[in-house]
Amino acid sequence: MRNHNLGHWPPKGLVTMALVFTCLCIDQSLGNQEPKIVDSPADKQAVQLLVRRVNDYVKHRNQIKEKLPKLSKDSTPEQIQAFKTNFVEALRAARQGAKRGDLFTPQVASYIERTLREEFRGKDRMQLREIVFEAETEGVPMRVNYPYPASAEMAEMPPTLLLKLPQLPKELRYRFVGRNLILVDRESSVIVDFITGALP
Amino acid sequence: MKRFTTASLTLSLLVVINLGFVPTAQSQTLAANASSVASTAPVKLALPLKDGSLRFAVIGDTGTGSKKQYQLGEMMVQARRLFPFEFVLMLGDNMYGGESAKDFEKKFSNAYKQLLADKVKFYATLGNHDQVLQTHYQNFNMDGREYYRFKKGNVAFYSLNSNYLDKKQLKWLEDELAKDTSEWKVCFFHHPPYSSAKKHGSDEQLREVVEPIFVRYGVNVVLTGHDHVYEKIKPQKGIYYFVSGAGGKLRTGDVDSRSTLTAKAYDRDLHFMLFEVAGDQMYFQVISRTGETVDSGVMARQKKSDD
Repeated sequence: MRNHNLGHWPPKGLVTMALVFTCLCIDQSLGNQEPKIVDSPADKQAVQLLVRRVNDYVKHRNQIKEKLPKLSKDSTPEQIQAFKTNFVEALRAARQGAKRGDLFTPQVASYIERTLREEFRGKDRMQLREIVFEAETEGVPMRVNYPYPASAEMAEMPPTLLLKLPQLPKELRYRFVGRNLILVDRESSVIVDFITGALP
Repeated sequence: MKRFTTASLTLSLLVVINLGFVPTAQSQTLAANASSVASTAPVKLALPLKDGSLRFAVIGDTGTGSKKQYQLGEMMVQARRLFPFEFVLMLGDNMYGGESAKDFEKKFSNAYKQLLADKVKFYATLGNHDQVLQTHYQNFNMDGREYYRFKKGNVAFYSLNSNYLDKKQLKWLEDELAKDTSEWKVCFFHHPPYSSAKKHGSDEQLREVVEPIFVRYGVNVVLTGHDHVYEKIKPQKGIYYFVSGAGGKLRTGDVDSRSTLTAKAYDRDLHFMLFEVAGDQMYFQVISRTGETVDSGVMARQKKSDD
């Protein structure tokens, strides 16, 4: 449950208000210290490496997608189902050798973990964890080249978080599965890579 | 990250005092079909049905395929006989669980079969249970886009993907709103910036990013789901917020009765909303699965600086 009570009566609520106000003041003071992360040359190199690997992936998956019948903007459920099935099968077959760390290299993973740790502190971290942990993601395999099950919920990625992470092209998405950060193909839902325990 | 100043607090208080929801009188009635709907309560229309007004309905968190979802769909058909709405906004979680071709039928098209047959258009937004390929579904009118704008009469509607509100989407929203001269601007998306439900509650991380944009560009009304209740929020920074997330799923007793955000709440049954826009007035009515009017009222359009 996230905070929505701005104040209560009788006086017990006043204590809550005071605590909330104190938290907000602490938050604001932390906010004034931006930017908290100064990207080192090694960090910049890590981000550049991620961009390169992501672009390579996108180019490859788009070549695979282009070979499939196009999905129109007014498709029937049958056409959507057929497209998804074909795309998942073709993508998985073409990327059989894909493995963990192909995109989230150790340098990239380290950079992302540090960004999450340093940019989300105190109340912000608590809120982020609440949003991520309330999603029902049981049954999602932590395996590269496996599809994210349609029956599992996708945890919301708070915009405050997306503004801090390296930006991705439209074909890829960051998602959390518990504390693990995954990179997932937007349309096929195939898991492209993941970092275990990325959420502080 | 939060910026609370005395000035902004004072402004908010003034806005709350000046804005409000005025109840509307109930007039026409129509007996519900007892054989298909779980109640004999008649639908009582509390909307004015003004000439030339824009009429639409809103549902959220619908896609269960349950009997109750179908009963609510039938109640919408009943209500439409009194209030011929042109289209329906869907607030996300359009399909829970699988999304096979059969799921589209069971969780959507069969539940609203009559409305679809009557050429009522549905405009969807994505929830946390929705796969992105829903954007290509012909009956969701998303044209393959995760976020989009459309205009009806003097109202511009913005559907956002609150699951993944990245820089690109935020820029699009700002750019579109900046050039939008519509009298009314309505944003609809899944996660609520304000909510008094105990399960999820206010999405403060989302609010931190979208609320300044809404305020800056004069968004009038925000419609969201996610929490499986109905809640009318007291106007926040001059904006009307609604949570309408019980079109198929219900979380009974989930609204925190101690919350200071609530203007009106209902968490005892499924519901849908009806809206009527006539000039500077936006009327609304909330109807339960059993035909009970849960809430109704009218909102005055907020004055812009150039008005």
